[in-house]
Amino acid sequence: MSSNIHPLDTRKSQSGEIDAILRNLMSIQGVTAAAIVDSDGLVTHIQRESEVNTDAIGASVQVVFGAAARAAQHVGHHSTNMVICENTEGFILSTPVEAGFMLALITQRDALLGRVRFELKETIPVLKKLFSHYLNH
Amino acid sequence: MHWFQTQLTELSRLADEYAISQRQSSSNIINVSEKMRLKRAEFINAVQTLVDKVGKIKGISACAAYHDGLILAQSAQLAAIDAFGATVQESARAAQQGAALLGLGELEQIVVVGAKNKVAMLSIGPLMLCISSPKEINLASALNRKT
Repeated sequence: MSSNIHPLDTRKSQSGEIDAILRNLMSIQGVTAAAIVDSDGLVTHIQRESEVNTDAIGASVQVVFGAAARAAQHVGHHSTNMVICENTEGFILSTPVEAGFMLALITQRDALLGRVRFELKETIPVLKKLFSHYLNH
Repeated sequence: MHWFQTQLTELSRLADEYAISQRQSSSNIINVSEKMRLKRAEFINAVQTLVDKVGKIKGISACAAYHDGLILAQSAQLAAIDAFGATVQESARAAQQGAALLGLGELEQIVVVGAKNKVAMLSIGPLMLCISSPKEINLASALNRKT
């Protein structure tokens, strides 16, 4: 007799929770895109307001973060926890998650930087845990 | 208890609940993540609501909340929002050092009074709530007039 109880697909649920976290970040005033970028600069998860070039986001986030991390090493600041790019039309914030994965947020100029940074800083520890589970299952 | 004090107590409760949700250890990381997210949203939404309400009180020029000196919520567009944030951060640092030296306990509030205006900074969980008004306004009575 076949059972109607199916084992929970943890990988799928963790991916769903990552998407929920990105949707939550998108609900912050001024945030237009939230993405997870892998170590090769490829976007693995994304939530966005409108059509954006995901390849460009992924590659630029990795390049900018890599350059900032090297600069930090040069001046003896050790590891880099967050890079904030202030542009004419908005901000790009990037934070390392786990195993080369990065969380990137794109915002408009009117975003409240403290709000976005607070959410990012508070989100990272749980994302790290989700990713280590995600990568190990 | 007056209106503003009740609001601060409620915010502190929400900040504590969020802090507790962060310390939760559970094998189900998805549940922990979701609970933290909801508790954080509850706290931040309450902060934004209070900032909006305080900003509308007669006699109050502006109200804003900061995290690490960066703007997190504001009642209206302030002219020198970044300078305000930097002042908050610097004042909090100096006050914390002074409080530690004098054994005052954890920092609760700072009031800076200038010749024209004054700013009150209140510590709520990880945030600083800042209220500015003309110097002659009695902040305590203005804040407690709100019903």
